[in-house]
Amino acid sequence: MPDGNQAAIGQPALRIDGRAKVTGRARYASDEVVANPAWAFLVTSAIARGRLRGFRLDEARAVPGVLDILTHENVGGEAEKPKPMAGGDTTTTLESDRIWHDGQIIAVVVAESFEAAREAAHRVRPDYEEEAPSASFGSPGAEEEVRKAGEHKDYKVGHADSAFKAAEYKVDQHYGTPTQHHNPIELFTTTCAWNGGKLTIFEPSQFVYGLRGGLAKQIRMEAQDIHVVSRFVGGAFGSRGAATARTAWIAIAARRLGRPVKLVATRDQGFTIVTYRAETRHHIQLGATRDGRLTALRHEGWEVTSRPSQYNVSGTETTARVYACPNILTKVNIVHADRNTPGFMRAPPETPYMFPLEVAMDELAVALRMDPVELRRINDTGTDPATGRRYSSRSLMPCFDQAAERFGWSRRNPVPGSMREGDWLIGWGCATAAYAANIGPAAVRITLEPAGKARVQIAAHDIGTGAYTVIAITAADRLGLRIEDVTVELGDTELPAAGLAAGSSHTAGICNAVAKACAEIRARLAGAATVTNDGPLIGLDPATLTLRDGALHGPGGRSEPLARALARVAPGALELYSENIPKGLPPESIDKAYQGQMSMSRGHSREDVTAYTFGAQFVEVRVHERTREIRVPRAVGAFAAGTIINPLTAHSQYMGGMIWGIGSALHEETEIDPKAARYVNDNIAEYLIPVNADIRSIEVIMVPERDEEVNPLGIKGIGEIGIVGMNAAISNAVFHATGRRIRNLPIRIKDLL
Amino acid sequence: MDITLKVNGTERRLAVDVRTTLLDALREHLDLTGTKKGCDLGQCGACTVLMDGQRVLSCFTLAVAAEGTEITTIEGLAGEEDPLHPMQQAFLEQDAYQCGYCTPGQIMAAIACVHEGHANSDDEIREYMSGNLCRCGAYPKIVAAVRQAKPLMERA
Amino acid sequence: MRPFLYEQPASTPEAIGAAARHVPPHGEGRIQAPAQYLAGGTNLLDLMKIGVSHPPALINIGPLRAEHGAIEADASGLRLGALARMAEAAEHPAVLRDYPAIAQALRLAANQQLRNMASLAGNVLQRTRCNYFRDPSWHACNKREPGTGCAAMEGINRRLAVLGVSDHCIANYPGDLANALAALGAEVDLVAPDGTGRSIAFEDLHRLPGDTPHLETTLRPGELITRFRVPAGPWTRRSLYLKVRDRESFEFALASAAVALDIGGGVVRDARIGLGGLAAKPWRSREAEAVLKGRRLDEAAAGEAAEAAFRTAVTHGDNAFKPELGRRTLVRALLQAAEMEI
Repeated sequence: MPDGNQAAIGQPALRIDGRAKVTGRARYASDEVVANPAWAFLVTSAIARGRLRGFRLDEARAVPGVLDILTHENVGGEAEKPKPMAGGDTTTTLESDRIWHDGQIIAVVVAESFEAAREAAHRVRPDYEEEAPSASFGSPGAEEEVRKAGEHKDYKVGHADSAFKAAEYKVDQHYGTPTQHHNPIELFTTTCAWNGGKLTIFEPSQFVYGLRGGLAKQIRMEAQDIHVVSRFVGGAFGSRGAATARTAWIAIAARRLGRPVKLVATRDQGFTIVTYRAETRHHIQLGATRDGRLTALRHEGWEVTSRPSQYNVSGTETTARVYACPNILTKVNIVHADRNTPGFMRAPPETPYMFPLEVAMDELAVALRMDPVELRRINDTGTDPATGRRYSSRSLMPCFDQAAERFGWSRRNPVPGSMREGDWLIGWGCATAAYAANIGPAAVRITLEPAGKARVQIAAHDIGTGAYTVIAITAADRLGLRIEDVTVELGDTELPAAGLAAGSSHTAGICNAVAKACAEIRARLAGAATVTNDGPLIGLDPATLTLRDGALHGPGGRSEPLARALARVAPGALELYSENIPKGLPPESIDKAYQGQMSMSRGHSREDVTAYTFGAQFVEVRVHERTREIRVPRAVGAFAAGTIINPLTAHSQYMGGMIWGIGSALHEETEIDPKAARYVNDNIAEYLIPVNADIRSIEVIMVPERDEEVNPLGIKGIGEIGIVGMNAAISNAVFHATGRRIRNLPIRIKDLL
Repeated sequence: MDITLKVNGTERRLAVDVRTTLLDALREHLDLTGTKKGCDLGQCGACTVLMDGQRVLSCFTLAVAAEGTEITTIEGLAGEEDPLHPMQQAFLEQDAYQCGYCTPGQIMAAIACVHEGHANSDDEIREYMSGNLCRCGAYPKIVAAVRQAKPLMERA
Repeated sequence: MRPFLYEQPASTPEAIGAAARHVPPHGEGRIQAPAQYLAGGTNLLDLMKIGVSHPPALINIGPLRAEHGAIEADASGLRLGALARMAEAAEHPAVLRDYPAIAQALRLAANQQLRNMASLAGNVLQRTRCNYFRDPSWHACNKREPGTGCAAMEGINRRLAVLGVSDHCIANYPGDLANALAALGAEVDLVAPDGTGRSIAFEDLHRLPGDTPHLETTLRPGELITRFRVPAGPWTRRSLYLKVRDRESFEFALASAAVALDIGGGVVRDARIGLGGLAAKPWRSREAEAVLKGRRLDEAAAGEAAEAAFRTAVTHGDNAFKPELGRRTLVRALLQAAEMEI
């Protein structure tokens, strides 16, 4: 590797934005200062289906300080509905009198103060023409259809039905997962300020160009006239990927008023004005031989979506290729109900779909009287069974072996209910985690100064992932600088475009782009240094030169300071713009990034190889023998994700993913009133997420893995895999503790009485 | 209403609505945006500040009722060029955050947790830090940060 | 939240005087009275922000803590000033030593920030977490708007009450401290707007919903709680509060039990039993207490007591698991209390 010396990549580094975060000086979107803002407060629908006959606004208008009230009657024609990142069509808000779901934005009140806007919003009286809504699966009026192949594929390999019928050992079960909401701690905020025909937006975003492009279409203006700023994001988890309806109405409110308008939506509104993880149902059929080899795998899923949307996550694209199996059949159905349109939420396909597969595998292990780790080993494969393509790398069994060792799995008595401590029943369970290795295009501008400082500008997003720091590490590594000599600017549409910070693709996309740009800088410096006769590197092969410790080095101890090498190619600082289009993506994918469209090379649909991150997760649960509280005293996860740029922040991401998994398995469920089709526990006191006391020992093992095919830096992505195996590992552990097989999440006290 | 708040040792005069919370007064009137709004309903802890040395939720405190008290926010722990408070330093070194949004509230709660004498074991720290939600799941590192900072705070 | 008149009286007479100016003729028992005393604000501001409460006047009694914030214990019992903060009471040495059920109920409630803010009286008067009550966009809520119905009965009611409910309301009382105070036979000292005082049994402070679920207490208009008195008894030291919930901390109880036992000669001489998370109001189960009197406290006796406690339970679908969880919670609490070293 001629570029860099690997000094920084792979070494733990503190976050370069850490001081800003611990001092409260990091400016999140609603912290940005705008002059004299008016305040918006949303009015949302109290019914899930029907029409608006009109509004009584006199009481709201009479509130002192009210400046404007937007409804479909006065601004309906001024915007179009947003286009989600996937799934096609979606619901409207103020564009019409139609109500598609509970909590739909139906009016925006603007006032001099937050307090006045809130009061007036509570005094808006909508006049509804109500229709009976459908809440979910099984509700009267819900419409089921087979998902057409489009964004997602079905797999048919061999003859799954006949193989299942003939199988000696079988699992044939139904499973379910609930509605879940991201609930980042930062609320959904938008601040819009106009300056002539130019619009500036401060909004937490996972894709500033996506927000810009989407909004431009919604309010019919040129994208170049919109400036989106999102320098710090208080959590996202998929909720801040695409433009949503609110931004357009706040922009229009600010335009009508000729004054900046600031919205901080309430926590309950955050359940309905953005997306969520839809509830799913599953039917799994596994067939196996006596020695544990899978002979049939059939996985059919059902997912809820809104009336107009085709959104689905189709996690069968992963479950079909985790284990060797000659006969595979997958199918996905979507169920339209009177609901807001779902969307990405951390490991969108794998969290709901790997749960049934991995519980079914545990059930098969029990039926076979086989250790569940051994069952995975028997069915391990280097070939993707769905396509016949090679895995670029696959370290599933090293993950299982290292995690099992650390966990102490060999001490497990497999008999359910056999392990206990005092009044607590102990259960141990495990599961496979898998997540596709994805990558997107990115552009970057790097400015290298003679004093050995570099500035990296890229419209990437640090949603807590440590993006600021991995970019600095990569640039430092490749330019031979110290990390503290690199400054990084992110989250701004005035910077070169990077894609969506999602799909565990971002680090791969942006670090490969940075490394490529650095390589171009090195090549220019080396090229100039080896052909001019004013320096020590004359005549050397430029490919042998490296940047290290603030100097350009050649073989045989020949080197010259960076400032001299730089002076040869640029009068002051060298500014270099570079674009990186990952292998397999078309050349126009970088233009799509600038236009705000998603373009991603996905690990399961590459032409050359199948590229996945794998992991193994082990969990101990304790269930009180009498009152059935379920606690997780410890969990161990081992993951192999290729190159780890920053082990410190990677550890935090894996750990955070596992904690999400504990929440998903035991706590999180958005409850829907079955008659009214309305969310009921739309707050974070009753939509439970783990608190500190729920989390005890979380051990993360990073299994070394080198993958030179997945992308030049060998990065596979780590943001989501931590959650993937946890649902099943916990359910399997609960079975081991209690003998009760729980196939619907979350698993709570009431399920074990 | 015209009120005077003593924040981070400085008296600040401001005009607020009677309904304005201490949280909104800090953020929107005094540009002290380190204190965060995560729910506005006492469910997340992101708005935690110290009032007369005790941790409280600024979202459930009327600004007008905060007159006459000493308020400390995250900005009051260390100036821009100052060394960090041991708890801030511990959060930085332990990577006890990801997105950082709950962090100011966590740090204020953690400092109070030590001062209260509720940081004597990991179990006790976990329990007494359970009023501050961290959606990124940094909890084990938050516990480690409190453990790290405690002796340094006690020495200071 | 609507604008309100804000008053910050300097003394109790001024406070009740201020309340008296806002007292309407027929406000008895409605927590949603025209003027509200503001102490910690942790429930009142919550309800105001979400549009459930609209008091036209707030009387900030927080500064009266010097007068009504004392915690004292002697041979006759424990006296808890109404404005003492939850955190203070939770860590008071006498409470910890002699009234562990109270200390534990407080420590297991809310979080330290809220406990630093909330007064004991405010905590006791906190209102239900029924989501249909807490969101005015639900039309049907008899507690919020009498006569509109109850959306919870056929809705999501996993967390709601099974004891003391009516055909009009199944909201549960969400607090913890109050169940311990009910079990221990506490008394409440009150001062009326005209300055006269009276005392009532803690059990009589909250009302059952019946056909008037909007009337939650027996407080008279403008009346101020000044103190809770917990009588001493041979059972208070052998007392505990067990709280069962899906999350380990910072969650309201699915079921809880406050138990206090006087055990001598191998049998239960006296038992005091409160239940939380399960009932329409802070709940004392005299039925369960009666079962235990004179019995050796073993699994069978505890089970019979638990059966008795839930004989009148009424469930509504989602919350069908709660009587069983309540029984198990009570049995666990009783057996644990019997084994306490005191």
